[in-house]
Amino acid sequence: MSATFDVIINEMVNGAITTIFNLLKVLIPLMIIVEILMVYKIIEKVATKLEGFGKIMGMSKNAVFPLLVAVFMGVTYGAGTIIEINKRTPLSRKDMALVAVFMYLCHGIIETGFLFYVAGANVLVVTLGRLFFALIVTMIAARLPYFKNMEN
Amino acid sequence: MNIFITALKDGTIKGLKTGLMLLKIMLPVYFVVVIIKYSPIMPWLQNFFEPGMGLFRLPGNAIVPIITGVFTDEYGVIAAMRSFDFSMAQITTIAMITLTVHSLPVESAISKKIGLPPVKIALFRIALAIFIGLLVGWLGGIFK
Repeated sequence: MSATFDVIINEMVNGAITTIFNLLKVLIPLMIIVEILMVYKIIEKVATKLEGFGKIMGMSKNAVFPLLVAVFMGVTYGAGTIIEINKRTPLSRKDMALVAVFMYLCHGIIETGFLFYVAGANVLVVTLGRLFFALIVTMIAARLPYFKNMEN
Repeated sequence: MNIFITALKDGTIKGLKTGLMLLKIMLPVYFVVVIIKYSPIMPWLQNFFEPGMGLFRLPGNAIVPIITGVFTDEYGVIAAMRSFDFSMAQITTIAMITLTVHSLPVESAISKKIGLPPVKIALFRIALAIFIGLLVGWLGGIFK
């Protein structure tokens, strides 16, 4: 039993240290990039370009950027970006809900796509398939009364 | 140039602050997850759901990476898959299910932090994971 206990403590300590370093390693550069993109108003420009894309999913242009971060990098980083954006121009409830639908179905596609490709999965299905699936589900969700009514 | 340096500084501080805030949520949940991973809950859940794997055209032991993934993360899935010999179609199905629903404890804690309902999101992900598992399992069966 003490052996198992050792294994558990070991995994906790190792996992915690890895999590802390992996998170900060990505989050600090990400927040610097977000900050630079914000002060130079680049986010606004990119978001305006992708507005049409957001529109078919029922989102305002504000919501597109955190969604992109989440989809390419992961939920944790998407959430970090949402927290930062909410401090300046809060996202509407509907935007949050629709971003959540997309983001929780499909996130971190670069990392996980690579991971599962190496593990022997069909790489097109686990990346493009997943993006397409999340897009369809979000488009449907945006048209449901449950999400539509959030605007009021 | 001044704006740029301020942005660098602010970004670093925000990265640290956001990181610490997220870690405060993630680490305790992670510790509980590690305990669950080694507790009798895991084999019990696996036995319970094993007969259902046929629906996804998966062998019964595919439940091991799936249940592991629900509690831990994608790396847990990969690690759990190594001990079995799955085909490419089966790995793809397992991947699609676990990529849709994984790290439920940690990611639910994060969703709560940004003001999203964690239980609703968890149920939504489980439902969609079952749906996509059926779809991909069925497609994999056709194209093989």
